[in-house]
Amino acid sequence: MRRRVLLNVGVPILSLLLVLGVWQLIVVGFHVASYIAPRPREAITSVTSQWSTLWPLILGTIRETIYGYLIGAVLGFALGVVMAKIPVIQRLVYPVILVSQAVPVIALAPVLVIILGFGIVPKIVIVTWIVFFPVTVNVLDGLGHVDPDLKNLARVYGASRWRTFVQIEVPASTTPLFSGLKIGAIYAVTGAIIGELAASEGNSLALYQEHANSNLNTAAVYGTTMVMTLIGIAWFLLVVGLEVWSTPWQRRSVARRRWRRGVEGPAG
Amino acid sequence: MGPVSTTLLELREVGKTFGDTVALAPTSLAVEEGSFVAIVGPSGCGKSTMFNVVAGLLEPDGGEVVLRGATITATTGHVGYMLQKDLLVPWRTVEDNITMATRLTRRVTDEDRAEARRVARQYGLGEFLRHYPSALSGGMRQRVAFMRTLVTHQELLLLDEPFGALDAQTRLEMQEWLLRVWKDTGRTVLFITHDVDESIFLSDRIVVMSPRPGRVVADLVNPLSRPRGIHTLLEPDFIALKAKVLGLLHGGDA
Ligand SMILES: Nc1ncnc2c1ncn2[C@@H]1O[C@H](COP(=O)(O)OP(=O)(O)O)[C@@H](O)[C@H]1O
Ligand SMILES: [Mg+2]
Repeated sequence: MRRRVLLNVGVPILSLLLVLGVWQLIVVGFHVASYIAPRPREAITSVTSQWSTLWPLILGTIRETIYGYLIGAVLGFALGVVMAKIPVIQRLVYPVILVSQAVPVIALAPVLVIILGFGIVPKIVIVTWIVFFPVTVNVLDGLGHVDPDLKNLARVYGASRWRTFVQIEVPASTTPLFSGLKIGAIYAVTGAIIGELAASEGNSLALYQEHANSNLNTAAVYGTTMVMTLIGIAWFLLVVGLEVWSTPWQRRSVARRRWRRGVEGPAG
Repeated sequence: MGPVSTTLLELREVGKTFGDTVALAPTSLAVEEGSFVAIVGPSGCGKSTMFNVVAGLLEPDGGEVVLRGATITATTGHVGYMLQKDLLVPWRTVEDNITMATRLTRRVTDEDRAEARRVARQYGLGEFLRHYPSALSGGMRQRVAFMRTLVTHQELLLLDEPFGALDAQTRLEMQEWLLRVWKDTGRTVLFITHDVDESIFLSDRIVVMSPRPGRVVADLVNPLSRPRGIHTLLEPDFIALKAKVLGLLHGGDA
């Protein structure tokens, strides 16, 4: 148990520290000027010293990410289901969503700002835009690969299509579903930042960074980038946590005792 | 005529063709209530196709499937059904897998759960109730799959090579186990196998099918007494019946 925690938590942290170490070595070893690249410590200090300014901006980015992600995940799932169940819709919609993903979001963002204004809405739309796709594709794939024998068995028992869907098809697709959700989680913050950049007005993490950049405050540019990255990683880890929590059968051989007797367990 | 017995299932001239392949030639068969009927035949002769028709998964080209006097052709929800693949769902415990058939048709009640636990305990699965299927051996998984089939409360159970993937030792244990459960519960069993020993060990009656296109070539009464055990395998009647079935299957004289 202890060994596993060490392996699963300790080693990843170590690898991140290693990255910081290499960064430090390069900056010091090659005498890189601090306006090109600060030392890790300087970047971190640039964040902590401005924390009271940064914190509301960070919260703003997190809010855009969460809203956009949740909408994107639900939309992506629903779209995957509808496409899997209705082949005509699949043929109709697949090219459209492909095109939607081929459009560079960064080019699309200013258009969305023109249409939707400088508020939170265009940012949410961009995050949703980015997140729904991997979810849809993976759900579609997962639902398409449910064991036909299992679906036949459900039919023999006289199961309705709805119950077969809820009790068999959805739980059988959890692994691909979470693959989609994890990919979406990593890209979600990028979407929010693109949205913030496109809106040249207002207060946001991306504009703060741009401001720092034009002031040649390189440490703050690096520091803000680190903050953005951390938000993305935190969100990803949250989704991983949700996956671990909701799929106990993948880790243990015996179920925990039911907390409410006579009520069905959380899965499915 | 002979003693009155109730026919539970009747196939009347049921056949099935896939494109140019005659999977099952028009076949008639009657199964008595409470009996254990084994169906043996070479691979690809249409045994599974016959089951899929009875289960309602396939619509036959012609003919009728009659269960207790009512036509059930091409309708589902009338039989218990189990395959070589256990089809347990990995995300549910043994107990919840046993109640899976119920869950697929209505809300699972406390009584359903209690029944699942009771049969599991009675037939050697009590200590695994809260295990996930991944923790179970092949034999144990098939027991769970059979329990799931049992608690559907269908009178007719279709078992399609349920022990086909098990090693010989486990298979024999499972056969004895199945006979015990069958005796206790009084269900009617149709059992597909390509293992002649298995068909004789288990059944009251053996239906032998020809190679494709499958049709019934013999319908043999199994004279062996019950209860059966290892000793059964050595009885002269067993050997005689085995010779007969093998002869029918392989066309040799026996
Ligand atoms: N869905 C299907 N489509 C086309 N051919 C099939 C299908 N199911 C079975 N068959 C064919 O029908 C024949 C009988 O198959 P099956 O009933 O599975 O045989 P058995 O169970 O006796 O081994 C085989 O030749 C098989 O290839
Ligand atoms: Mg078969």
